[in-house]
Amino acid sequence: MTYVSVDADRCVGHGRCYTLAPDVFDADEVGHAILRVEDVSGELERHAVTGEQNCPEQAITLSP
Amino acid sequence: MTETEGFVDQAMSGIAEPQPMYKALRESAPVFRSPQAIVLSRLADIEMALKRTDLFSSNMDAVDLGNLRPMIPLQIDPPDHAKYRRILDPLFTPREMAKREPWVAELVNEMIDGFADRGDCDFHEEFAVPLPCTVFLQLLGLPLEDLDKFLEWKDGVIRPQGADGYDGRHEASAPVAQQIYDYFERAIDDHIASPRDDVLSSMIAAQVEGKPLSREELLDICFLFLIAGLDTVTDSLDCFFVYLARHPDRRHQLVEQPDVLPHAIEELLRWETPVPGVARVAMQDVEVGGCPISKGERVSPLLGAANTDPAEFSDPDVVDFNRSPNRHRAFGGGPHRCLGSHLARMELRVALREFHRRIPDYEIKPGTQLVYTAALRSVETLPLVFPVAAR
Repeated sequence: MTYVSVDADRCVGHGRCYTLAPDVFDADEVGHAILRVEDVSGELERHAVTGEQNCPEQAITLSP
Repeated sequence: MTETEGFVDQAMSGIAEPQPMYKALRESAPVFRSPQAIVLSRLADIEMALKRTDLFSSNMDAVDLGNLRPMIPLQIDPPDHAKYRRILDPLFTPREMAKREPWVAELVNEMIDGFADRGDCDFHEEFAVPLPCTVFLQLLGLPLEDLDKFLEWKDGVIRPQGADGYDGRHEASAPVAQQIYDYFERAIDDHIASPRDDVLSSMIAAQVEGKPLSREELLDICFLFLIAGLDTVTDSLDCFFVYLARHPDRRHQLVEQPDVLPHAIEELLRWETPVPGVARVAMQDVEVGGCPISKGERVSPLLGAANTDPAEFSDPDVVDFNRSPNRHRAFGGGPHRCLGSHLARMELRVALREFHRRIPDYEIKPGTQLVYTAALRSVETLPLVFPVAAR
């Protein structure tokens, strides 16, 4: 299991994570990232990694 | 004049392929003192400057478009900035933009109808310019017949006649700026009298800290929309279609693999960086990469250089529509991240999809010399020729 978190202070709403990995990330009412799931494995974990790697603000962290 | 200076000098009057200049700057003068501004070209420095609004402000001293008060939210820094973004961001989310997509597709097709049977077009004049401007008018709920007036105003403040670089900008743009304020005064009156489902009505109805936006705040937002929302998408369309006209293999990829389109747009944004740099002003004496910058000096983080920095992008000179990850900064970063990025993406997606569905093969008219405009990367004309589809 990998734990996903989004740093709300860093996120400014580029929207790359929920566009590329909509099963893990979603948008709140201002378009900032929120999580659909916090614990991921398998396919969802790969999606989470895609979101993390594409965040221009490095606001997403994956931890064991 | 050194090679780097030569490049930068050229860039001020428009440059067709800026990527070699970015590389030269990054490698030989990553903090480069040009006559107009101190140019930052390393991704790490650019990122820092975009995030540290306490050191590098986006306030009115950074750029002068003849506006009387700060344009909102661009020229307001945190913490006040956040209250405006809380109102404006919800109006420009991917979800909100998706609602407008069918109408934009219709508009794009009407524009293509105008030249599809002719076998040629001036892509800049007949498509790249009118598309974002018409979308903007519709989004704000303004009469579509005001299109020509808007185009004149946007050019009047962005590329004022008789202004060279930063000097003389205010005087050159101020009369046009006043016309823009006057126009939006009337538009706001009209929307207060008869509210409807558009961005301007939503802004009028919005509450910030329990209060509606003042008349001046509304005007200052409208002013920013006009300068930020029109030219930038025109620039992107021009840059993208020049690239695709010259790279038929890439164009075929878009036609054959429609799923690649959103990723292709991100990669073209990275490679072309249609808004190559942004403007900031130092708020205190500060040192970047060993170079002292004095309080009050203009600083220009070069987004195009960030987007081709090998520190972040492997093979930065290769355009790969399947590039992943692609953490480009074409929309800037930090608190002032482009408010309209999702609108731009939607317009670009629809334009590229529909254009290539209708006109998959085209080339730049042989013999054409493309002339790029300064600062924002549009071309003066873009003549395309293509086979006419049999009826």
